[in-house]
Amino acid sequence: MRKVLAVLLLAIVGYYMIDSFLKIPFGENRNTVGDYYLNTTVKETGSVNTVTSIVVNYRGFDTLGEVTVLFLATTGLAAILFENKKRKRRLQHASLIVRVGAHLIYPLIILLGAYVFIHGHLTPGGGFQGGAIIATGVLLMFMSYRSFEVSHKLLVYFESIAGIAFVTIGLSGLIWGTSFLENILPLGIPNSLFSAGVIPIIYIAVGVKVGAELTGLLDNLLKTIK
Amino acid sequence: MVYYISAILLILIGMYAVLTKKNIIKIVIGLSIIDSGINLLLIAIGYVKDATAPIFSDSSLKASGMVDPVPQALVLTAIVIGLGVTSVALALVIRLYDHHKTLNIDKIRKLKW
Amino acid sequence: MSLSPVHFIAVPLLAAFLIPIIGRFSKEFVKIVPGIVFLYLSYVAISLFPVALNKPVVEVIAGWKPPFGISLYYGPLAAFLTSLITLMGFVIWVYSYKFIIREPIEKYYMLFMLLITGSTGIILTGDLFNMFVFLEITAIAAYSLTAFLRDRDGAEAAFKYLLIGSFASAFFLLAVMLIYSQVGTLNFADIADKMNTVSYGTKILILIFFLVGLGIEAEVFPLNGWAPDAYSQAPSPIGAVFGGIVVKASIYALMRIIFLFFNFNEVFHFLLIIGIITMLIAEMSAMKQHQIKRMLAFSSIGQMGLVIIAFSVGTTDSVQAGLFQMFNHAVIKAMLFFAAGYLVFHSGSKNISALDGLGRDKPVTSFFFAIGALAIMGLPPFSGFWSKLYILLSVADAGLIAAVVLVLTASVIEAVYYLRVVSRLYFNKETASHSEVRRTPVSGLVAMGVLAVVIIVVGLYPDYLWHMLKPAAEELINKAAYIGNGLLK
Repeated sequence: MRKVLAVLLLAIVGYYMIDSFLKIPFGENRNTVGDYYLNTTVKETGSVNTVTSIVVNYRGFDTLGEVTVLFLATTGLAAILFENKKRKRRLQHASLIVRVGAHLIYPLIILLGAYVFIHGHLTPGGGFQGGAIIATGVLLMFMSYRSFEVSHKLLVYFESIAGIAFVTIGLSGLIWGTSFLENILPLGIPNSLFSAGVIPIIYIAVGVKVGAELTGLLDNLLKTIK
Repeated sequence: MVYYISAILLILIGMYAVLTKKNIIKIVIGLSIIDSGINLLLIAIGYVKDATAPIFSDSSLKASGMVDPVPQALVLTAIVIGLGVTSVALALVIRLYDHHKTLNIDKIRKLKW
Repeated sequence: MSLSPVHFIAVPLLAAFLIPIIGRFSKEFVKIVPGIVFLYLSYVAISLFPVALNKPVVEVIAGWKPPFGISLYYGPLAAFLTSLITLMGFVIWVYSYKFIIREPIEKYYMLFMLLITGSTGIILTGDLFNMFVFLEITAIAAYSLTAFLRDRDGAEAAFKYLLIGSFASAFFLLAVMLIYSQVGTLNFADIADKMNTVSYGTKILILIFFLVGLGIEAEVFPLNGWAPDAYSQAPSPIGAVFGGIVVKASIYALMRIIFLFFNFNEVFHFLLIIGIITMLIAEMSAMKQHQIKRMLAFSSIGQMGLVIIAFSVGTTDSVQAGLFQMFNHAVIKAMLFFAAGYLVFHSGSKNISALDGLGRDKPVTSFFFAIGALAIMGLPPFSGFWSKLYILLSVADAGLIAAVVLVLTASVIEAVYYLRVVSRLYFNKETASHSEVRRTPVSGLVAMGVLAVVIIVVGLYPDYLWHMLKPAAEELINKAAYIGNGLLK
């Protein structure tokens, strides 16, 4: 009975959604604010990756909100799973191939993650993607080794300092520029590593923060035995 | 065209899972599917035919031959937010399992609707 | 560095990121940080108020003019709401200082500060996707705080809230998608300017998505199933934040979007009917409740229905009355939650029947509860009387006599269940054995005392606040001025 009702409701909702979305022409270039961003990103922000310049500079406030969301999710998860006695991880040892392979690949994954978020303004990628890659590498080590531990104190310090760096850069835009999060460093030559003003700095802070947060989150989720 | 319909179908499948499944982990997976569907739909809106990624890695690339970068920036944020919600949901699942020792939502539903 | 609206977001974020580091050195100082932050923000809100009354402050972020950058729109309405929110945040912090004794305390203060910051962000922003981000900040902080007490009911209430809240954000994003595909921009003023190019059918679909997405957070019928559980299972100060701050921000968002994008008459008629249904069903459900915090939650939903009725009539007077009611309800409901928090704590149970005779054991707390109950029913000389009177007058002015009758009926129902609780407090014999009756801490008494003073002062001299609300009401209705100011013309 309940399944029938649900299917009926979703059919009605789906019909109207498909009807109105099919009216939007697919693949056509419409007159949107995106055109402005494409035309001015190299001149005004120095970054050749338009998505990065939108995320960090034009709509940098959204990124600040997003970083806050991730911070909130980690804090909320830690608060919900809080126990007075520390929980322990289910200790399973992976097979020999996995262990050796993980040991070899782990530094390369960290390096790849760092590369992705340092070069966020030149190639596809950026802080969030790089941070996620680093967390995946740490997860690989968690799953392969019994005794691999990450110090929570260190993670908390990384996370807080990176977050404070982001907000401080924004406030310095307010103090030395005209508005919050404004790009106050010199723009440099496009397509080179040291260009685009504060964008790489913000993205490095975001990358470190996301990596530390996701690692802490995975560590909390893996510890399920009291 | 097909992209719109498939993304909307993903959203509807996710909603169906949330509304009818009994295992709370399947409900959380349904939430994740809804998020994926919405993100796909958002990116599909920004597509321009025969255009390339919005990165000026070569000075000869023109702005008119690139896709709309704004939906991609929006999706970046939306994916992270979806991750945040899923992680809080999983923490609640662990808590509920601790208290009730079952993953069946009918047994857990004590508070009246 | 001069004061500007971005401080409302940047300062709490900085404080929240600093708390883990401060927590390593001194746990006591962590408890004081939110107090300092909210005191500073109240100062900013009040000093920017005269500036906003003169001409709305539109602050651009990252130096890019709208519609290519995000901007914060701080007009009289935002000034009023942020002043209310930051001052209420400070009072609720005073109450939680000694109320929250369960670990982990520093995470509670981080989540609490960010919950209020998220609500402030919803009110300040002038950009549609930015509003979505702040809605999610508020939502995730709310889910975590609902489950903060880690008992079985709390986890279940938080899970239900999370499922329904995720649907809300999904629908809101669908609406944002449709708008972006039709008008190509995300700035409120720009969308309002270009909205008449959108076809009627698509406009209706976008409206429905917004109504579902924001209506879930704003607790309209039938999307408010999560609210009674969340309000009653969360710690009492968080219940006060939900009912006094979060729901106000959501109703503001809904009204701002409707007044800017969709202001044609059928929408207002539909909203009027929804408001009436919400109010009646909530008040009737409140009568049947056995637990005091669930009763307060249903009463809160009913009051929000009344606010929606006031807004949907659409005249300056009715919007002004609606804003006045929002102010009064925030103050009164917070005080009711504060008093209920300590009454539940000392009687050891959440049921109303356990409150019998507590008027003798805890006279001060019960007295504050009684003041709150009389004020919310709308009796003079308390502030609730004036806001209800103004709403009824403005609704009657618009010729909707049936609505007036229904509001009065709901008020009678409200009186019944509140007086029932008050009489149990004072006139019944003590039934259950109370666990050692401790004195209410000073912080709780101070918080409740401040709110009671506000209720009585506004009740005796309502005109000062009433006149301050007129420019705010006019700003909400005046679409052309918003577009002009928002695009920095």
